[in-house]
Amino acid sequence: MNSMERVVMALNHQEPDRVPVYPLLAGVSRHLIGANCREWSTDADTCVKGLLKAKEEYELDCIVTLIDLSVECSAWGQELIYPENEAAHPNYRNQVIEDEDSYDKIQYVDYRTCDRMMMHIDVCRKLVEAAKGEYPVVAFVFGPLGTLSMLRNQEEMYVDCIEQPEVVHDAAGVITQVLKEYCDALLATGVQGIMFDTLFASGSIMSKDMWDELEGDLVQELAEFVHSKGAMVMIHNCGGKIYFDAQIRRMHPEAISFLYPPDDCADFAECKEKYGDVTTLIGCVAPTTATVGTPEKLEAECKESIDAMAKGGGFILATGCELISPNAFPHAKHMVEIAKTYGAYKK
Amino acid sequence: MSEVLANISAMLQKGKRKDVARLCQQAIDEGLDANVILTDGLLAGMDVIGAKFKANEIFVPQVLVAARAMKAGSEVLKPYLAGDDASGKGKIVMGTVQGDLHDIGKNLVIMMFEGKGFEVIDLGVDVPTEKFIQTAIEEDADIIGLSALLTTTMPVMAEVIKAAEEAGIRDRVKIMVGGAPVTKEFAESIGADAYTEDAPSAAEKALELISA
Repeated sequence: MNSMERVVMALNHQEPDRVPVYPLLAGVSRHLIGANCREWSTDADTCVKGLLKAKEEYELDCIVTLIDLSVECSAWGQELIYPENEAAHPNYRNQVIEDEDSYDKIQYVDYRTCDRMMMHIDVCRKLVEAAKGEYPVVAFVFGPLGTLSMLRNQEEMYVDCIEQPEVVHDAAGVITQVLKEYCDALLATGVQGIMFDTLFASGSIMSKDMWDELEGDLVQELAEFVHSKGAMVMIHNCGGKIYFDAQIRRMHPEAISFLYPPDDCADFAECKEKYGDVTTLIGCVAPTTATVGTPEKLEAECKESIDAMAKGGGFILATGCELISPNAFPHAKHMVEIAKTYGAYKK
Repeated sequence: MSEVLANISAMLQKGKRKDVARLCQQAIDEGLDANVILTDGLLAGMDVIGAKFKANEIFVPQVLVAARAMKAGSEVLKPYLAGDDASGKGKIVMGTVQGDLHDIGKNLVIMMFEGKGFEVIDLGVDVPTEKFIQTAIEEDADIIGLSALLTTTMPVMAEVIKAAEEAGIRDRVKIMVGGAPVTKEFAESIGADAYTEDAPSAAEKALELISA
């Protein structure tokens, strides 16, 4: 059984030979090819080379193209800083939306004018070619509110969410239209789905009602668009107490990648019971454990996720968020071994 | 409690900056002691905010607007407060460790510390290890608070603790650590004095550490 067959069965809520597995190795893959962060995140060939190396070396069942969270915001001219050893990020001293009255700077832009988006599209095209249908490639896209938060100091945006929610929503709405065209281009490369980062749909950040008011209809529009193209919608949200119910109602995702039990579940077992038939659960090993934890603790966490969520399929073992340190490589290998052994389905 | 103090607390909880500033001035004009206004108006309001935040009744945006309202009120009171350490609960040097640019978690914790009456020296983000130590010595701080959001920067927390030992201040400065990837086990493994899961608990823990 190859990775594509394994993942497809899991997504169809069937039990494949074993649980699919992908410790989220993205930017850290640069270490495998001797590139620095700047090179990896700005050159498509380098990025592809790293991701493929990680896929090959760690036998990942899926590639998720998480480059960094600043790809989308660069379309609106956000100045970025590209450190050698950490992910690109906005220059927080020079944000496009410099005050509460500057949201009208967010106007429609053609994604084709954005080098970073075009690079990501190129990355997806090359990965799909390399995959030859043997494993899924999923394009990672920061959601509308997330993108907006990279254009406006995040803390200031939270205040704006209280003081002028309609302005925030309108700007996020403009971003949504651009993201839709961007998703269209990503899907045209042949990726199997789009994984939207819905960072703010989390009890760690804002109330369910506020999230739904500010982003709910926008991610719904994006999800409906992706589904209309025959592709899968996935969600990544590594916040605490995330809102499965509200996001499922809006996006009907084929899968959710998460780190902690959702707001309405006490644990992963309850999450499986409540949502296991509705969507595929991806997770939920803590990146900390998969970076600095002992092998015993890592094994215990992997087993906890498998025990709670693997039954009947509809589960992929993964880290709940990206692994960013090369210290994680041995742990990633260990995770895959656990999926192959403890995660084998008994026929 | 006087009506104006209750109103200050209520407006702070709603995040009404201008109203809080106006009411603080009104309270001063009515002859109320600035320390009383601070304690029974502003800090009382922040206590409610902290409790509601911990209970998931309110969220980050509401805490931020409340904290800004508190700041607006504090600015009005500042000239009237007795001494330069009016709150007197203790002094905390706080920052996000070197290599890490995340500051919202740190800022939330600072707001909760201030809401409990601590004086906080915010060193910002990407703070070099020696800066924590140097500031703690210069300011005679009671606590150093370290924040990290990345698994790659967590080890820097251990470096700060080691540097505090080498500087000979470890026995008189408590060190608290926190941030999304940080765990109780990790905190214990590096010899931190305290770790808490959330910002309101951090403030409560700081009070415990100070009074221990």
